[in-house]
Amino acid sequence: MSISLSSLPRLLQLCSPTLPVGAFAWSQGLECAVDRGWVRDEASAGQWILGLLGHTQRRLDLPVFARLYAAWLNDDAATIRQWNARLYASREAAELQREDQQMGAALARLLTDLGIVEAEPWRTEPRGCFATSFSLAAAQWAIPLPEAATGYVWTWAENQIIAAARLIPLGQTAAQRLLSAAGPVITVTVAEALAITDEDIGASAPGLALAGALHETQYSRLFRS
Amino acid sequence: MAAAGFSSSSVNDLIPVTGWQARLQLGFQRRDQRTVLRQCTHQGPLQVQRPFYPEGETVCHVAILHPPGGVVGGDELRLDAQLDPNAHALLTTPAAGKFYRSAGPVARQTQRLTVGPGAALEWLPQENIVYNGARLHTLTRVDLQGDARLLSWEILCLGRPAAGEKWIAGECRQMLEIWRDGEPLYLEPGYLMGGDPVLKAAWGLQGQPVTATLLSAPVLPGMVDAVRAGWTAMTVGGEDVVAVTAIDGVLIGRYLGPSAACARHLFILAWSLLRPLLLNRPPCPSRFWTT
Repeated sequence: MSISLSSLPRLLQLCSPTLPVGAFAWSQGLECAVDRGWVRDEASAGQWILGLLGHTQRRLDLPVFARLYAAWLNDDAATIRQWNARLYASREAAELQREDQQMGAALARLLTDLGIVEAEPWRTEPRGCFATSFSLAAAQWAIPLPEAATGYVWTWAENQIIAAARLIPLGQTAAQRLLSAAGPVITVTVAEALAITDEDIGASAPGLALAGALHETQYSRLFRS
Repeated sequence: MAAAGFSSSSVNDLIPVTGWQARLQLGFQRRDQRTVLRQCTHQGPLQVQRPFYPEGETVCHVAILHPPGGVVGGDELRLDAQLDPNAHALLTTPAAGKFYRSAGPVARQTQRLTVGPGAALEWLPQENIVYNGARLHTLTRVDLQGDARLLSWEILCLGRPAAGEKWIAGECRQMLEIWRDGEPLYLEPGYLMGGDPVLKAAWGLQGQPVTATLLSAPVLPGMVDAVRAGWTAMTVGGEDVVAVTAIDGVLIGRYLGPSAACARHLFILAWSLLRPLLLNRPPCPSRFWTT
């Protein structure tokens, strides 16, 4: 099944940088990585972002996203809570956790305002994840799983590339080159992620975890993570 | 038991046994002021020395021994420890764990630690050294109940840096889970394969052989600042990266760098700062940590 022409605008809406969830405020450790010189140019930005795509997104976020999506379709509240809790507990630093919670709650508020009643308790859930709200919207708007997962990871990659462009800085063409490179990686990553079994879910990223924690005491900061 | 679909439920004896099967079950009980080892049963080569009390009766110190000295593919080591309400135990190991190169079978190490209300567990083993070519799956799951307290660390060394042995082949899956009253607080699923980008990437291990995690649950006011200040004051080598954070009731301190000994020094310092805050006790370092 591929996406219908009636669901496609909904996916584009969900993936737009104008979605009012405040994504632009968070760099997910990238600001620290640039400060420390771990990321310093287009090539190292690509290694950071595409590498995490193939590791944490592939082994953790996307497989959990797929299970959340299925659980929303089945109206299975207990399973939604379990996978949400597992994803939240897998964030390896305070700001990475806060980012996920605040974006997740912001999207839940928006979805509630748009008439999705299932989102209501997640507006104030202290441990809600962005993937939980995003998968709810996708399930409600009849966006098929592969397209929804592609959209989820695309918004992540685009936001990271925008952050890298501001921080390093990179020009617009360099940012577009990175987005172009992300495309085929995303396609492969989504296909692999959707085949991962429960036992294989999860992938710690020690350098990202350190960057997330070190950002808390960084002297000069543009971003909230 | 984990909820359906959680990885900890998968750590069972699914693979035919070719190596040592070792199992140790420990139970600790508070009797008046004393914590006693009420249960100690073992099968195979996983044992304890006689418990000792270097700081009065309240805290029972136990060293867990693995007499073969190393783990090979096919070995299965399982430790279950239960701390009854208000018990206080400090568990350590007299030597580093060694996982040897495997021709195929996976070695498994499963540690399930349950800490009852009012109880305190200090889980402070020496590092695991994973030889090049080793294959291992480890799980350390701590279940805290009520207001149970935990101080712990886990130190992983890939290859043998001192002998010039790099870790380029093998499989090292190391799962660390902290739960409280059936909810996950912190899950750290280490997923390391020979040749995987995670070994060299800036977001991964940065080409370093040693990655280590220190935990305190709960996190109390002043803890994060105390560890940060302690580590800042300690001279850290040029390649070492350390950081402290606190998520959802767990303090996490991390080390990434070239030396397991350096990680241990940093963690002993952090533990000596955290112990008075969390357990209202001065530090009483294990005699094994100086070797």
